[in-house]
Amino acid sequence: MFRHTPLRVAALALLAVAGIGYAFGASYFGLEILTEIAILAILVLALDMVAGFGGMVSLAHGALAGVGAYGYAMLQAQAGVAPPIALLGAIGLTGALAWAIGAVCARSHGIYFIMATLAFGQMAYSYIFETPVFGGDDGLGGISRLDLSVLGLDLMDSRNFALFCLAMVALAYAACAFVLRSGLGRSLSGVHESEQRMRALGLTVWRVKAHVFGLSGMIAGLSGALAAQHIMYVSPGLLSWTVSGEALVVVILGGLGTLVGPLVGAAFFVVLKHEVGAITPYWHLVTGLVLIAVVMSRANGIFGALEAWVGRRRAARQPQPLAKEVPGNA
Amino acid sequence: MTHDAGFWVLQALNALQLSMLLFLLSVGLTVIFGLMHFVNLAHGALYALGAYVAASVAGAWGGFWVGLIVAPIAVAAMGVVLYGGLIRRMRRSGPMAQVLVTFGLIFALLDLTRIIWGDVALASDVPALLEGQVRLLGVDYPAYRLFVIGLGLAVLAVLAFVLGRTQIGAMIRAGVDNDAMAACLGIDVERLFFVVFCVGCALAGLAGAVAAPLLSVTPDMGLQILIPVLIVIVIGGLGSLKGAIAGALIYGVVQTFGAVLAPQLSSVLIYALLALVLVTRPTGLFPAKG
Amino acid sequence: MLETRNLDKSFGAIHVTRDVSLKLERGERRVILGPNGAGKTTLFNQLTGEIAPSSGRIILDGADVTALPVAQRARAGLSRSYQKNTLFDGLSVADNLGLAAMVAQGRGMGLGRDGLLHPEVRETVEEVAAQLRLSDHLDARVSEISYGMRRQLEVGVALATRPKVILMDEPTSGVGPEMAKGFHDLLAALPRDLTLLIIEHDIDLAFAVADTITVLNYGEVVFDGLPEAARGSSLLKEIYLGSWEDA
Ligand SMILES: Nc1ncnc2c1ncn2[C@@H]1O[C@H](COP(=O)(O)OP(=O)(O)OP(=O)(O)O)[C@@H](O)[C@H]1O
Ligand SMILES: [Mg+2]
Repeated sequence: MFRHTPLRVAALALLAVAGIGYAFGASYFGLEILTEIAILAILVLALDMVAGFGGMVSLAHGALAGVGAYGYAMLQAQAGVAPPIALLGAIGLTGALAWAIGAVCARSHGIYFIMATLAFGQMAYSYIFETPVFGGDDGLGGISRLDLSVLGLDLMDSRNFALFCLAMVALAYAACAFVLRSGLGRSLSGVHESEQRMRALGLTVWRVKAHVFGLSGMIAGLSGALAAQHIMYVSPGLLSWTVSGEALVVVILGGLGTLVGPLVGAAFFVVLKHEVGAITPYWHLVTGLVLIAVVMSRANGIFGALEAWVGRRRAARQPQPLAKEVPGNA
Repeated sequence: MTHDAGFWVLQALNALQLSMLLFLLSVGLTVIFGLMHFVNLAHGALYALGAYVAASVAGAWGGFWVGLIVAPIAVAAMGVVLYGGLIRRMRRSGPMAQVLVTFGLIFALLDLTRIIWGDVALASDVPALLEGQVRLLGVDYPAYRLFVIGLGLAVLAVLAFVLGRTQIGAMIRAGVDNDAMAACLGIDVERLFFVVFCVGCALAGLAGAVAAPLLSVTPDMGLQILIPVLIVIVIGGLGSLKGAIAGALIYGVVQTFGAVLAPQLSSVLIYALLALVLVTRPTGLFPAKG
Repeated sequence: MLETRNLDKSFGAIHVTRDVSLKLERGERRVILGPNGAGKTTLFNQLTGEIAPSSGRIILDGADVTALPVAQRARAGLSRSYQKNTLFDGLSVADNLGLAAMVAQGRGMGLGRDGLLHPEVRETVEEVAAQLRLSDHLDARVSEISYGMRRQLEVGVALATRPKVILMDEPTSGVGPEMAKGFHDLLAALPRDLTLLIIEHDIDLAFAVADTITVLNYGEVVFDGLPEAARGSSLLKEIYLGSWEDA
C-alpha cells in the first residue's frame, strides 16, 4: 500500500535538489549521464508500479519503452507529425499495447507471468527487427527533439534537455503516486496481497491488472520517446530483453515497491556502470556480483534497507512499535 | 512454393536436430525446477561454459571426443561450486529472489568467459569420424547433425529409464510430486537436489560441447539460447520430462518449418504460440503435479 | 434469497456434493452442520463461484447466477468469509476493511482521490471495526494482531461489503470460548434482513443463532428443518456422536 512517509518525502526532496544542482554544475559528459539516469528512472518507476505494487514482474518493459521510442520516431521523423503530438501518440500507442499485454497475462502468475511478458516483449522486438519500414538492424535516424522555444528553451542544448528530462521524471513520479493512491491503485495492492479475496469482494481482477499495466506502459513509452529524442536515433537493441532485465535489476537495487528506491537505484546503476566501465570492460561482472550480494543480503535494496533501519530506530525509541510502512509490503 | 519430398525430409531432420539440442538443455532446467521450484536463469551461461571448455580442450589436446567428455564434468564441477555457494542458500527464498540471483549470475559468468577466453568467437571442428554426409531417406545429411539427433535420443532414453524404472528415479518423481512427503518417506531430499542439480549442469555442459561445432562459440551464446530454452519449458510445462520433449519438438518444428513456409512471420510465430499456450493453458501443456 | 437446485460436484471419482437443494428466505439464518469432509466448504465454493458445479443451478435474489464469475456474484450482494483466513496480511486492519468497503462501493476501479480515504469508506471501516471490537487495532498490521482477532477480521472483511447474503465458514474455529461468545453476540446484533449461512461445528452456537438447520453428510443433505426437529433427529446423533450428547 503506497504512502508517503516523511523519509520518502525527504529522500525525494534530496534527489530533486541533487539532480537540479548537478544539472547546473555538470560538464557535457555529466549532463549526458544525468539524462541517462533520468530516462532510466522513468522506466523503472513504471516497472516498480506493476512489479512492486502489483506483483506483476514484467520482462516486457524494455520492449515497451522501445515501442515508445519507435512510435515517436515513426510519427515524428517518418510521418512528419509535430513533436508534441508524436510524443503523446507514442505514449498512447505504448499504453494501448501494454494494456493488451496486461489483459492477456492477467491469469498467469509467478514465473509464468515473467515468461509471458518476456514472450510479448520478444514478439515486439522481432516484429520491429524484421519489418522493413522500421529500418531493420540499422534503425531510424533524423529524429528531432521537442521544440520548447516558446518557453525560451532550446532542447538541443544538453543542459536544457537534462532539465527537461528531470521534469519528466517528476511528472512520471507524480503520475505513479497518483495512480497508486487512487481506488485502482489501492485495488492493485489488494490484488498483490490476495487475488482470491479481492475477487470475492467483487473486484474484476484482470481489469485492474490490465488498467495498471496500461498506465505503466504509458510511462514506459514516455521513457522510450525521451530516449529516442536523447540520442536522436532508434535501433532494435532498445527492445532487447536484457533492457527489461536491467530495469528489473535497478528496481531491486533501489528497493522494490517503494517508488523512491528505484530512483536511487537508477542513479546508482548508471553511475556504477560508468565508473566501473572506466576502469574495466567487465562491468557486467561487477553488476552481477552487486546484484547477487543485494538479493542475498535479504534487504529490500538500498532504499528498502534505509527504511528498515529508520523503522527499527523509531521502534527502539517508541514503547509501542506500530511501524506502518515496512519495506516489501508498501 | 514447390518442394520435393527430399526437401521436407531435410527440414524435418533439421527440426529434429534443433529439438534435440534444446531438449538437452531444457531437461536439466525443468527437472531442477520440478524438484526444487528453482528457476536457474544461468543455465544458458553454463551451456556457454560447456561450449568454451569443449572447444578449448578440443583445440589444445585430444580433439572433439575428449572435449565431449571433459565439458560436462567441468560444468558439473561448476555446478557443485554454485550449489554450495549460492543455490543451497537460496533454497528457502522466493522465486523472485532466485530469478534475480541467477540473473546476476548470468552477468558474472558472461564476463568471466570473456575474461578467460576473450571476445573473439572460438571455432571448433567437427570430428573426423563425423565429417561428410550420410545418405538417409533419399537425402544427403551431415553426419554430425545425425549424431546430435542420436545423442539426444540416447539421453532421452537413459533419462526415461532412470526416471521411470530405477529407485533414484522413483525418489525424484516423489520429490517432484511433493517434496515434504518425500522427506517424510526418508528420502534425503537435499542430497537428491544436489545430485539432480549437478546432472542438470552436466547436461548443459554436454549440450554446449555438442553445439560448439554447429555454432560459433561466443560469450553471449548462453544469453541467445536462454530464451528458446525458457520457451520450451514453459510451453511444455515446468517440471516435467514429457513437457521438455514436447516443448523442444514444438519449438524445433515451428522454428524450422516457420522459416520455410512463412518467412515474414517466422520470428514472431514462436512467441505468438507461447502466448497462446499461456493464455489457454497457463501452466503449459504437461505441467508436473504438486 | 439464495437457492440451490440439485447441486452436484465431483472431483474425478470423489462425489463431494450430491443433489443439494436448499432455499434460504430473506433474513433467514441457517446453520450448516456436518462432519469433517462432508462437503460444506465445497458447497460454499460453488455458491460463490470459486468452483463450478458439475450440474445443478444456483439462484441468487431471483436470478440464475450459476454461470456468473465470482466477482459478479459478490457485486450482486453475496459475501463470504473463509475457513482458512484469507486476509491482506501485509496491510493494516483498517486497510483490510477499507479495501472491502471500497470495492463494494464501486470505488475500486477509479482514478483520482485516494480510494481508502473516501468518507463513506472510512465510515464503514469504523462501523465494522466497532462491531468487531477492533477499533483499537486499526493501525496494526494483520501479522501483528492475535489469531482470534484475525478470525474476527476475516468476518469483518466480509461484512464491510454490506452484503445481502453472507456465508461464514466456521467463523469461530480455533478461537477461545470467550471470543466465540462475543462472536455470538455480534451475530445476534446483525441487521435482521441480512441472510446468513454459517458453517459451524460448535453446536451451542449453532442452536443459539439458527432459524433453520441443514445437516450435510457425505455431500448429501440428511436433515433440513427447524432446530427443534434437529434436536430429536437420530441421524444427527449418529453423525455427531460424542459432541452431540454434550449439547
Ligand atoms: N479440489 C479438490 N480436489 C479433490 N478433492 C477435493 C477438493 N476439494 C475438496 N475435496 C474433497 O472433498 C471433500 C469435502 O471437502 P470440504 O472441504 O468441502 O469438507 P468440509 O465439509 O468443509 O470439511 P471440514 O469440516 O474439514 O472443513 C473432502 O473429502 C476433500 O478431500
Ligand atoms: Mg470446510
